[in-house]
Amino acid sequence: MRIRLRGGRVLDPANGENAVARDVEFLDGRVVAATREKADAEYDLGGAIVMAGGIDLHSHIAGGKMNLARLLMQEDRRAYPEPALPQFSGSFCGCGGGRAVPTAHATGCRYAELGYTTVFEPAMLGSNARSAHLEMADIPNLDTGAYLVLGNDDFILRLIAAGAPQEEINAYVGWMLKATQAFAIKIVNPGGINAFKFNARSLNLDEANPHYPVTPRNVLTTLIRAVTELGVPHPIHLHGCNLGVPGNDETTLATIAATEGRRLHLTHLQFHSYGTEGDRRFSSSAARIAAMVNANPNISVDVGQVMFGQTVTASADYMAQYRNRGFASPKKSIGMDIELDAGCGVVPFEYRDKNFVNALQWAIGLELFLLVEDPWRIFLTTDHPNGGPFTTYPHLIRLLMDRDFRNAQLATLNKAAQAHTLLAQITREYSLEEIAILTRAAPARILGLTDKGHLAPGAVADIAVHDEDADREAMFSRARLVFKDGRLIVRDGEVVDLAPGTTHVVRTDFDSAIEGKLDAWFDQTVGLKAKHFAIADGELRGGRGPSVLNCVGGAS
Amino acid sequence: MNGEISAGAPLVVNDVVCGFCGLGCDDLVVEVTGRDVRPTASVCPEAARLLRRLDTGAGIGPASGEVYDQARILLGSARAPVFAGLGADVEGGRAILDLAARTGGVLDHAASGGLFANYAAAQRTGWLSTTLAEVRNRCDVLLVIGEDPTAAFGRFFERALPGQALFAASRHVIVLGGALGAQARRQLGAARVTELAAGDADGDPVAALSALAQLVAGPPPRGSSFGGVAAEALAEAAAALKGAAYAVATWNAASLERADLVAERATRLIDALNATTRAGVFPLGGRDNIIGINQLLLWRLGYPLRTAIRGDGSEHDPALYATEAALGDADLLVWVSAFRPEPPPEFDGPVIVIGHPDTEFATPPDVFIPVGTPGVDHAGTVFRMDSIVSLPLGALRVATLPSVAEAVRRLVPAR
Repeated sequence: MRIRLRGGRVLDPANGENAVARDVEFLDGRVVAATREKADAEYDLGGAIVMAGGIDLHSHIAGGKMNLARLLMQEDRRAYPEPALPQFSGSFCGCGGGRAVPTAHATGCRYAELGYTTVFEPAMLGSNARSAHLEMADIPNLDTGAYLVLGNDDFILRLIAAGAPQEEINAYVGWMLKATQAFAIKIVNPGGINAFKFNARSLNLDEANPHYPVTPRNVLTTLIRAVTELGVPHPIHLHGCNLGVPGNDETTLATIAATEGRRLHLTHLQFHSYGTEGDRRFSSSAARIAAMVNANPNISVDVGQVMFGQTVTASADYMAQYRNRGFASPKKSIGMDIELDAGCGVVPFEYRDKNFVNALQWAIGLELFLLVEDPWRIFLTTDHPNGGPFTTYPHLIRLLMDRDFRNAQLATLNKAAQAHTLLAQITREYSLEEIAILTRAAPARILGLTDKGHLAPGAVADIAVHDEDADREAMFSRARLVFKDGRLIVRDGEVVDLAPGTTHVVRTDFDSAIEGKLDAWFDQTVGLKAKHFAIADGELRGGRGPSVLNCVGGAS
Repeated sequence: MNGEISAGAPLVVNDVVCGFCGLGCDDLVVEVTGRDVRPTASVCPEAARLLRRLDTGAGIGPASGEVYDQARILLGSARAPVFAGLGADVEGGRAILDLAARTGGVLDHAASGGLFANYAAAQRTGWLSTTLAEVRNRCDVLLVIGEDPTAAFGRFFERALPGQALFAASRHVIVLGGALGAQARRQLGAARVTELAAGDADGDPVAALSALAQLVAGPPPRGSSFGGVAAEALAEAAAALKGAAYAVATWNAASLERADLVAERATRLIDALNATTRAGVFPLGGRDNIIGINQLLLWRLGYPLRTAIRGDGSEHDPALYATEAALGDADLLVWVSAFRPEPPPEFDGPVIVIGHPDTEFATPPDVFIPVGTPGVDHAGTVFRMDSIVSLPLGALRVATLPSVAEAVRRLVPAR
């Protein structure tokens, strides 16, 4: 199947193309060099913008915590029922609904309408990995992958406490990546979720766990070294200590310093950029933190922008979620200690524009977006659904691209919050090219997906076409055309077809001597055989198996 | 596995995963000889009964094409089917959901009574819970509400409170409203057991549990006894729970009267404990993969079990769409029970059974499609009761009957 897109303007920052007028051609799901051969289908784009499909590197789309959120927040589901689907002749398509926690099907459809074709679940627990993969198999139109949460599991804390050699840690990480079919390593509140099980209510970067002589810094540096030496493309994806606590800016700065120049990704940085200045003891430290990010090229970040409205927060960070459950709206929450592995907390939340803290959170996120200079090291996220649902991305893009719009929004917020942010003075507006970097080119690069996020020959034909519109929210709300693996799935903002996605995983070399220890650990301590914990390739994507990226280790 | 084993040489299969009760044991030992399956070690009585297969030569064969035709006719003419039982692995559940998406209808599981008693509390206030590996290694005080869990979950104490733990320095089991039997005592070994009788005719476990929760949360309630339990005994239990490093409350909602109140009070108790120490609820349940089917509905439809697909939308109502209530308005019952020979509930209209070949019917159903058992005849995935862990069931012998997924996919009309 050869398809040709004529008369579009190609926005492909990975290859230095900024709105270049040229045809884009793809054959059997891959981009090819333009030919004169007859195409099976041609689309005349009339100057529309052509980009690679969007890639979201941090969005909670699958796993047990999302099902707990669905269970707890039936209000969300009832308020957003199944959409009427004229293209499916009015029949029930099993689509489900929901906004803050949409169903698997709705997740795939809503993302596709925005021009996204690849999304990564950033907090898969090993003990829940099989469930997360079953759920991802039911997400249409998206390729997926998941980051494995490590660093709060008793197995690794025992290894670190015992002074195990790094090679043994690496073997464990390599085994776990394979067993859980994961794509990268995430650390959530390093050691803190574990410490909460021993009744610690907070844990600072250099504070030892109540049970193990291990600090969050030990966990972080050990796992940074592991993924570096194993050659995992994506650096450690860190949800740091003290999420949401005023004064956590110092922790964040100290965390960056702790890397000593090694690569680290700080996720939902907005929730970790809070100072204690002012009469309310809550202030923005975005400028300080952005300066530190700018000065440290080994650091990448995503923002976790807060968007006003009802959502539900779901996190492995039970310690932080328990602390914040008093803010639940509506008043209910779920918490769970999980399997000597990690935990989870689900807290419904409504971000209100007239609330001082919420309004300032909104401003802090935008300050970070605008003050971090290198668009290749910052990513567009709301930490869906924790800062807001991913369906708010078009609005967020307009806030970044349109200063007048941004300042008009700011002027409507809580007055005290307005006085606590320098947002109004920031003149920067994102260009279209920069948006393409944040949402395509840069995520592909940091994830090591060499055939995604760009449109050179050989790239996967995941392609989004948007009509130019000065109202950037309107422009990005409805893709004119979206192709998944070369197949048309969205036309004029509506899903017209369902394409099966794949799930990306990484594999590394590791010393299989670790298997004996893990067999004993799982059997005697966890109460589950290691071989039943491990997930076979055939369990993914309805038997089709994963897309494997083999890592080349050796770096240190 | 394959069935080409000579009759004289049983194949010993170790580490068999069991999907029946929801406890998720995965260390069973089974001997397979031809089509015969004999569990030999690490089995509870229920698993022993449900796994055992003896090939008498009188086994029932797969349904004919005409039987499937008849099922399709019944499905095609039904306006309000109820899909109940739903004892199936995840893949079977997917097939049923795909079918229901075409025909419409209500979806409920045979064991959902207990689940929704628990959800009544959980959806109103939420709850703080824990999972099996945490209980095994951290729990130093376990509060059991109601009957001995061993009755329905044969290896519960062996699995939940083994002698060796990473962190728990000692084990203390407090039973409120029941008594532990010999099996439980044996599995508990050296653990301390306190039984607070409230299970007699005049006992009231809910009242006793309410008082216990209030004693933990403070201020203490006034009175000399609550629900048939002396105030001093409850005060001692409250002190033990507050003094625990990691307390756990467990109950089997399916075996309790007023289970919704038990779940609500236990949730409140655990909530109060977490103010000063750590604790979690560990509700028992999960037979025949109810948790897996419920999880599937949550990510596919956004609603748990007891959901109806009507017209172009779906809606959830835990009362209206419970099997018994839904059958009042139904014109077809599709009963699925692959794990055990459980017959459908009484129903005046037509009945399709996709079930265990040994099912005995008081009234023969209009259509019977016998299916193999997940974990015996087919591989499949089932969820453990805690909803976090799911397990791969293997096949022990070559299947002569279809899986639920295979049978149901034959019923889906072409769009």
